[in-house]
Amino acid sequence: MNPESFRFCPIAGEQARIIEWILSGLEGKVDDNVFFNVNLAVEEVVENVVSYAYEDGNGFLEASKEITGDGILRIVIKDGGVKFNPLDKEDPDITLSAEEREIGGLGIFLCKNLMDKVYYNYENGCNVLVMEKNVA
Amino acid sequence: MDVTIKNEGAVCFVTLNGRLDTTNVQRFNEDIIPVMESDAKEIELDCSGMSYTSSQGLRSFLTLQKRIESKGGKMVLKNMQPNVKQVFDITGFSNIFKII
Repeated sequence: MNPESFRFCPIAGEQARIIEWILSGLEGKVDDNVFFNVNLAVEEVVENVVSYAYEDGNGFLEASKEITGDGILRIVIKDGGVKFNPLDKEDPDITLSAEEREIGGLGIFLCKNLMDKVYYNYENGCNVLVMEKNVA
Repeated sequence: MDVTIKNEGAVCFVTLNGRLDTTNVQRFNEDIIPVMESDAKEIELDCSGMSYTSSQGLRSFLTLQKRIESKGGKMVLKNMQPNVKQVFDITGFSNIFKII
């Protein structure tokens, strides 16, 4: 898959369209379980950006995707919203009981567990989250 | 996500079919209100047709279980697909729910 990118703006309520664009062309090309994992990781990240990146709920999200020559699927999600590194967030304590578990905070934790590598940069006033998965 | 609810005596059978994601979780939360309000002592969710859930879906299950247990009821999740079960395992939700 050659590198492709698309800038969505405005993004309020556009989660489904953004996720669909990122995943398009992947289904059938990668293992079903890998597709499931990538789908979920992408959904969690996109949902966070759409819900929390912009105070007024509107702004841009730029998505890029490629499969490198050595079979690494690399997805980059960029936004110009509030500076926020989701990887700074402490992992939820998954050993707690139902009563003690907080509702929320699972999205980025799932993303980190489902992808091989997730990293964050703040570049030119933008949050840039990179997710990688070996799909070879 | 299609939700079918059937009450049989003290048991409420719920059948889930389809994907539970950002596009339909709100609708799902509305669909399961009758289960939340059910007087059944046992809630059985047949998950064999549920092919996907996001963290928002997990939250819905947690909210549902807390509600059921607050009324002294019990909830079980049955026949979960491996990909979905994996999401429950990663998040520790497998230890919170009774999954058979």
